[in-house]
Amino acid sequence: MGTKMGFMVDSNRCIGCHSCSMACKNYNQLNPDIVWRTVYDIKEDAYGQPTRITMSLACNHCEEPACKEACPTNAYEKRADGIVIHHEERCIGCEMCVYACPYNVPQFDKEKKKVGKCHLCYERLDEGLSPACVSSCPTQAIYQIDVSTIGDGFENSLPGFPDPKITKPSVRFIKPSIVKKL
Amino acid sequence: MNVKRRTFLKGAAVTGALIGLGSTQTEFPFQGLMKAQGSGESKKAVFQNACPRNCYDTCSMLTTVEDGVIQFVEGNPQNTYTNGTVCVKGNVYPRTVYSPDRIKYPMRQKGRGTGNWERISWDEAYTEIAENILKIKKEYGSTLPICLNKYSGNFEIMHYGIEGTMSSLGYTSRATGTPCWPAGIDAQTFDFGTIVNSDPEQMAKSKYIILWGVNPAWTGVHSMNFIEQAKANGAKVVVIDPILTNTAGKAHEFIQIKSSTDGALALGMAKYILDNELYDGQWLANNSIGYKEFFGYVKNNITLEWAAEKTGVRVEVIETLAREYATTKPANIWIGYGMQRHTNGGQNVRAIDALAAITGNVGLEGGGANYAQLDSWGFNYHAMVHPAPEGSEGEADRAVNMNNFAADVLAAQDPPIKMLWIAGRNPVQQDPETTLIKKAFREMDFVVTVDLYMNKTVELSDIVLPATTPFETPGVNVSYWHYWMTLNERAIKPLHETKSDVEIAMGLSAKMNELESGSCTYPTSGDLEEWVGKEFNDTILEQFGLEKWEDLKNGPAKMKNKEVAWKDGDFRTPSKKYELYSEEAEKFGHHPLPVYVEEMKSTEEFPYRCITPHWKLSIHSQFQDLDWMEAISDKPFVEMHPDLAKRNNINEGDLVKVYNEIGYVTVQAKLTKTVQVEEVVMYETWYKNLNYNVNYTVKAIPADMGKKATGMPGIAFHDNFVNIEKV
Ligand code: SF4
Ligand code: SF4
Ligand code: SF4
Repeated sequence: MGTKMGFMVDSNRCIGCHSCSMACKNYNQLNPDIVWRTVYDIKEDAYGQPTRITMSLACNHCEEPACKEACPTNAYEKRADGIVIHHEERCIGCEMCVYACPYNVPQFDKEKKKVGKCHLCYERLDEGLSPACVSSCPTQAIYQIDVSTIGDGFENSLPGFPDPKITKPSVRFIKPSIVKKL
Repeated sequence: MNVKRRTFLKGAAVTGALIGLGSTQTEFPFQGLMKAQGSGESKKAVFQNACPRNCYDTCSMLTTVEDGVIQFVEGNPQNTYTNGTVCVKGNVYPRTVYSPDRIKYPMRQKGRGTGNWERISWDEAYTEIAENILKIKKEYGSTLPICLNKYSGNFEIMHYGIEGTMSSLGYTSRATGTPCWPAGIDAQTFDFGTIVNSDPEQMAKSKYIILWGVNPAWTGVHSMNFIEQAKANGAKVVVIDPILTNTAGKAHEFIQIKSSTDGALALGMAKYILDNELYDGQWLANNSIGYKEFFGYVKNNITLEWAAEKTGVRVEVIETLAREYATTKPANIWIGYGMQRHTNGGQNVRAIDALAAITGNVGLEGGGANYAQLDSWGFNYHAMVHPAPEGSEGEADRAVNMNNFAADVLAAQDPPIKMLWIAGRNPVQQDPETTLIKKAFREMDFVVTVDLYMNKTVELSDIVLPATTPFETPGVNVSYWHYWMTLNERAIKPLHETKSDVEIAMGLSAKMNELESGSCTYPTSGDLEEWVGKEFNDTILEQFGLEKWEDLKNGPAKMKNKEVAWKDGDFRTPSKKYELYSEEAEKFGHHPLPVYVEEMKSTEEFPYRCITPHWKLSIHSQFQDLDWMEAISDKPFVEMHPDLAKRNNINEGDLVKVYNEIGYVTVQAKLTKTVQVEEVVMYETWYKNLNYNVNYTVKAIPADMGKKATGMPGIAFHDNFVNIEKV
């Protein structure tokens, strides 16, 4: 089985601090309203006891990327290592991918009139560094993984995450433990 | 899961690196990856910086600069507390620096509040300011009509240069006190003699952690790591808070307490500990005074039923909590600043401190009642200390209560206050009683504000001077929570025409002396980096294990022997013991014992308590207004329980008016069962283009304590009662 790079999202450690989203903007110097990684509140009673829990999501570098499928100009490429990249100079800004992606990942940049999205900081991986979001997470709640070797024992989804059957996202989750309210 | 976390992480990183190598990733230029173009010989350098904000974490940062432009700001792993990461605010710094909204040059407003600004030169600005100062001096015979209001916008040490500016002009009026944490400071000062907390990294060694009214998931993210480590080592984590916060979401157990009744819970616990003889009599006998009196008070006045009734926490829960806390060693309590923003906040902190004392957790590794510390702040304050010019009228500065600023400024007589100098503060946004604050500003003859952005305070000023960011001016930083010291290097040239407080002081001094020789003692020149060196003395170098201050260029240093607060029982109280009975407290008008003082209650007209805690994307009025932050969250909301919403016919997303006798805020409803039915929550922050300010409803009610250590009581921000209605 080939390499499938993606993310582990450990919602048991995630504290919902948004460092990861902002680190992505910081490193990639994204235009002001563009966010490639988003920290979502998980529905507060998803596990019974109302609580505040979060999950941090970026592009899932899907096995069957709907973005790529939808793009009329072949702006998307699925690399051998599984990373899905968007080639900006081929993008005509038609936003087909924006509608196609079930995870709201590709972002239309009004200024550039083009789309952009998380590229798993592959150039940092090449240097032996973690992605900017990963290395900026104060609690090590996200990290890059190869889902082909990660093994079982992880969740394929968390409450609120769209059905993984659609695009086979390369993301695995660790469930949050739920505080006991006394 | 059977993969060990550490190896797993390492494995993941290695996999990543290997995969990357063989690929053809450079084939296309990508969005966001295009670096500064053209030169082909770009110069890249990494600088040390420190985040100077009013925050627990005071991050050590590394700033990558290419061709004079900041590319990336990240954490410096040499600081083992901040551990190589910065929070969301630290990550937004490139935008703080390069935001188009920065104030770029000195400006003069024609008509305060008109928005009719014109660009002026620094020389014009200095001249106008100096002339106003000299005019005041002439008219009133002193500089007391000039009032400085400076506080927590930037805690870097050289920023005390602004106090120095004032001193070097003569005796002036000074906003005195601190709004947010003084009740707790006084409480700990009565108990321990001052505030000292154990190195927070030691929390990892705790077996039982109570996070009492503190939300580090939003306000001190790096501490969450040590809490996680403690959990991994088998510790139990309990959060006590009126709100089920994101921190509570990470705990084992959560106790939702009625606001401002924390002292009742602590005393209920003390009662159980006493009745079941779970206290550490030996420790008390050796290290404390007044424990017999305290036990007498608890025995005769406290019942668990009373505590349960007060706090809304069931008797069994109080019992279990007390038993577990008293019998699991070491047990750590982290006392937050939110829980002391009440009219009984100081007393409540004293009651919690008492728990740590009676169970022998004070001075214990991994234990303690941890609030804050100022031990690592022993600088020379060279930028600050300057004498008044010879022949200055008066003897001393005049204190104006920072926490009742508007009223005090308006009431000042002989001489009245006529000029304000605002630095590192945004009182028009952040102070209670906004209407009164605006009135005070309008009554002034002259208002100068030094800031980075056009905020609500700048809008009511005559002159605004553009300030530098931490990346543009050198300095040195320490924290009030951890024990690291970080050098702040000048990473880039100051943008536009911005200047630091010390440079402004020098420039103004030159102009003052030009117009009237001898009218200002501040030096008129000096090398800023050399000035950083002048902040150091032998003691502080020794404390941080430094031979010379320049050693900090190799990385942050940590103060020695701060692992365990009070481990030698070296209390700084008058008796040199832990004082459960404090005569000092009595002198300041409090009961000498940590007795319960009734909390403020709602009224028929304003039946709901409105808590206004810190917001995750800002520190007071800093950060949330940046467009990068607004990309994450651009709308304020009021959190309320669905039952309360139903009672008022409010649905999710409805616009709600939150009001009381002094003002109102109109804001969207967010329904959540993580808050209590009788309390609503709005976060204190501001958005650039919205008229949202929680302080429209907040009165300047003093907290019970603060006078001893900070000169003025704090503000009971969370004793704010409101009503709500659907708009
Ligand atoms: S930085 Fe880490 S802890 Fe913070 S929101 Fe992102 S994933 Fe969660
Ligand atoms: S998450 Fe969306 S953008 Fe990313 S690969 Fe999958 S479909 Fe494409
Ligand atoms: S991997 Fe890189 S591009 Fe993707 S979300 Fe993280 S920081 Fe952004």
